[in-house]
Amino acid sequence: MAGAAYGQLNLEESPSWGSRSVDCFEKLEQIGEGTYGQVYMAREIKTGEIVALKKIRMDNEKEGFPITAIREIKILKKLQHENVIKLKEIVTSPGPEVDEHGKSGGHKYKGSIYMVFEYMDHDLTGLADRPGLRFTIPQIKCYMKQLLTGLHYCHVNQVLHRDIKGSNLLIDNEGNLKLADFGLARSYSSDHKGNLTNRVITLWYRPPELLLGATKYGPSVDMWSVGCIFAELLHGKPILTGKNEPEQLNKIFELCGSPDEVNWPGVSRTPWYNKFKPSRQMKRRVREVFRHFDRNALELLEKMLTLDPSQRISAKDALDAEYFWTDPLPCDPKSLPKYESSHEFQTKKKRQQQRQNEEQAKRQKLQHPQQHARLPPVQQPGQAQAHSQVWAGGHNHPMGNSGQAPLAAGGPTHHQFGKPRGPPGGPNRYPPGGNPNPGVGGYYPDRSTGQGGVGFSGGQYPPQARAPSASGPRGSSAGYGVGPPNYSQNVPYGGSGAGGRGPNVAGNRNPPYNWQQQ
Amino acid sequence: MATDFWTSTHYKQLLDQEEVDVVHQLDKDRGITLEDFKLIKLHMTNYIARLAQNVKVRQRVVATAVTYMRRAYTRRSMTEYDPRLVAPTCLYLASKAEESTVQARLLVFYIKKLHSDDKYRYEIKDILEMEMKILEALNYYLVVFHPYRALSQLLQDAGMSDATQMTWGLINDSYKMDLILIYPPHSIALACIYVASMLKDKDNTAWFEQLRVDMNMVEKVATEILDFYDNHKTITDEKVNAAMQKLSTRT
Repeated sequence: MAGAAYGQLNLEESPSWGSRSVDCFEKLEQIGEGTYGQVYMAREIKTGEIVALKKIRMDNEKEGFPITAIREIKILKKLQHENVIKLKEIVTSPGPEVDEHGKSGGHKYKGSIYMVFEYMDHDLTGLADRPGLRFTIPQIKCYMKQLLTGLHYCHVNQVLHRDIKGSNLLIDNEGNLKLADFGLARSYSSDHKGNLTNRVITLWYRPPELLLGATKYGPSVDMWSVGCIFAELLHGKPILTGKNEPEQLNKIFELCGSPDEVNWPGVSRTPWYNKFKPSRQMKRRVREVFRHFDRNALELLEKMLTLDPSQRISAKDALDAEYFWTDPLPCDPKSLPKYESSHEFQTKKKRQQQRQNEEQAKRQKLQHPQQHARLPPVQQPGQAQAHSQVWAGGHNHPMGNSGQAPLAAGGPTHHQFGKPRGPPGGPNRYPPGGNPNPGVGGYYPDRSTGQGGVGFSGGQYPPQARAPSASGPRGSSAGYGVGPPNYSQNVPYGGSGAGGRGPNVAGNRNPPYNWQQQ
Repeated sequence: MATDFWTSTHYKQLLDQEEVDVVHQLDKDRGITLEDFKLIKLHMTNYIARLAQNVKVRQRVVATAVTYMRRAYTRRSMTEYDPRLVAPTCLYLASKAEESTVQARLLVFYIKKLHSDDKYRYEIKDILEMEMKILEALNYYLVVFHPYRALSQLLQDAGMSDATQMTWGLINDSYKMDLILIYPPHSIALACIYVASMLKDKDNTAWFEQLRVDMNMVEKVATEILDFYDNHKTITDEKVNAAMQKLSTRT
């Protein structure tokens, strides 16, 4: 292959004499888009191994190799852990510019450096967004445990991730979860005197201290994000979805109470406290809002979503929490079901497709049966089967099969390797379903009708299994206005057709959610 | 970047003296001897330190930059990688890796200020281009551990806090050799303390013994440092210039 000139080296541990060429890989499809470049799924030609290639954009060459890439490389070369994504090597693209003009010529490496990562089949958001998929409690515990283990390792090695969110947590078909995208990560030391930027972490997962302008902070920032993800997994959708920073802070205060010198000593000295302090006293409502979580989960969540960073639980202590040591125990990653590849951008793409189909269907005024026959995407049978496998700790089952196919084409993505983007696709990602049938839970809402899953009860999955736990009775009717988190999304034709947060076990107990819509 | 040295790539990449003392064939062809090779690296270490003083970066950045430069020349020839460009480029890269970024523009400004000689004149684009080549030569391994880290603790423990300045200076000088490529940083720190004890006439034998470290290695490093100082007296500008002369003029 063209890589011959470059290709002989950089294979193993041994110090190399040059990077291999990207020509050693065959790009298969784009699977992500980040601030510093695209991410591709690729196959190593020699070995056939599937990898992910993350391109480092060099267009802004005013200061050469981007310091963010330097940080990421430095950190990834240092971190070797089963729950941290492995940087296999760095390859360059010879490009047409090579040595063309000698010294005076163009930049040899313009736009052509790639980080080679092990390929992971899913990211957590993509997986959770799969129509019809819901995680089991042992599965959630298993992912959370791995997330905390990986993060603890980072923190012990004095690395702050600073962008923990679902799309940066990659999952393979062995059930392994790995932290990825260290593009915002930094090493720190507790004696570090310098200031750190507070413009990190995707808005929905950003802790209050950063929103209040803190520039000295530590591992606790990541733990807030973990808390958000934890609640999201149990709840079925993101819990703090501000559109901008003031709103984000406000949502945090509405859930966690307003900060004061009692619950957070020193908060009044944070840079923007006076600017953002809530006008009225708010009480902490975590236990109320998430009362449908089990006791141990709630206890752990409370400790993660602690306003005062110094009192927030550490990754290490979180791993010791009762939650992980009481029944049902975290399952073995290997026992988890295998799914067809899904990344956040793909599920998004799929939803787009569904919306299109939906419109088409409307236009043609098709009847349900026909629709079913024609619209494979997220159809019940496949899902039902997948479901039972999830529950049974089943095995390989490609989900949403037909719906998946068109995605393979790639296209603009929103993928784990990507950079954070504010509240990504914020509002439309998890649109309020407006579905008035909370109790039905999100199993197989009859998507063809799009009018509340009444019709689905005939699905393979016994809806009663959930029904009892569904906290319908508990939620105020007002609360349901937002719709059960789990299910509006699964409607390829009907309803909004957007959204797509797969329901999960706990999510079936539909919480009153009015606190969030204010 | 603090983490465990023993699991680091720095540790895995430690070399033997024989591996470091290899003059690249292309350089040999130009008549560069092992002695010249060492002299040029010494000269460039000083150059990096002077540039660093001007752009005002921490000693740690200097140490990392010198390590990059020395590591690069275990794999690359001076003929292809002109030291007069490699040195400032390593400082540039180290400033990023050590989170004290120096703008390329500023570096170029001081290069011109320090050297009127055309052979040192490099522009921003030269530095950026060389940066990529250095990254490749280093195989993107950028984390370096330095002997400074444990120094104050060790000195305090040895009851030698008064020798901090001297020991710090000894460590700075250790970068004029290739020690950082060959020995674990704590051995270099201990060797410098060992030398400082000698110079201060302080008997630290008991202290060293209770450390349970490889004293042979410490003494070996200490000897090298002492030899270097002896030898350093014989280094003259002429010798350095003669060695530099053998480097080709810029291509």
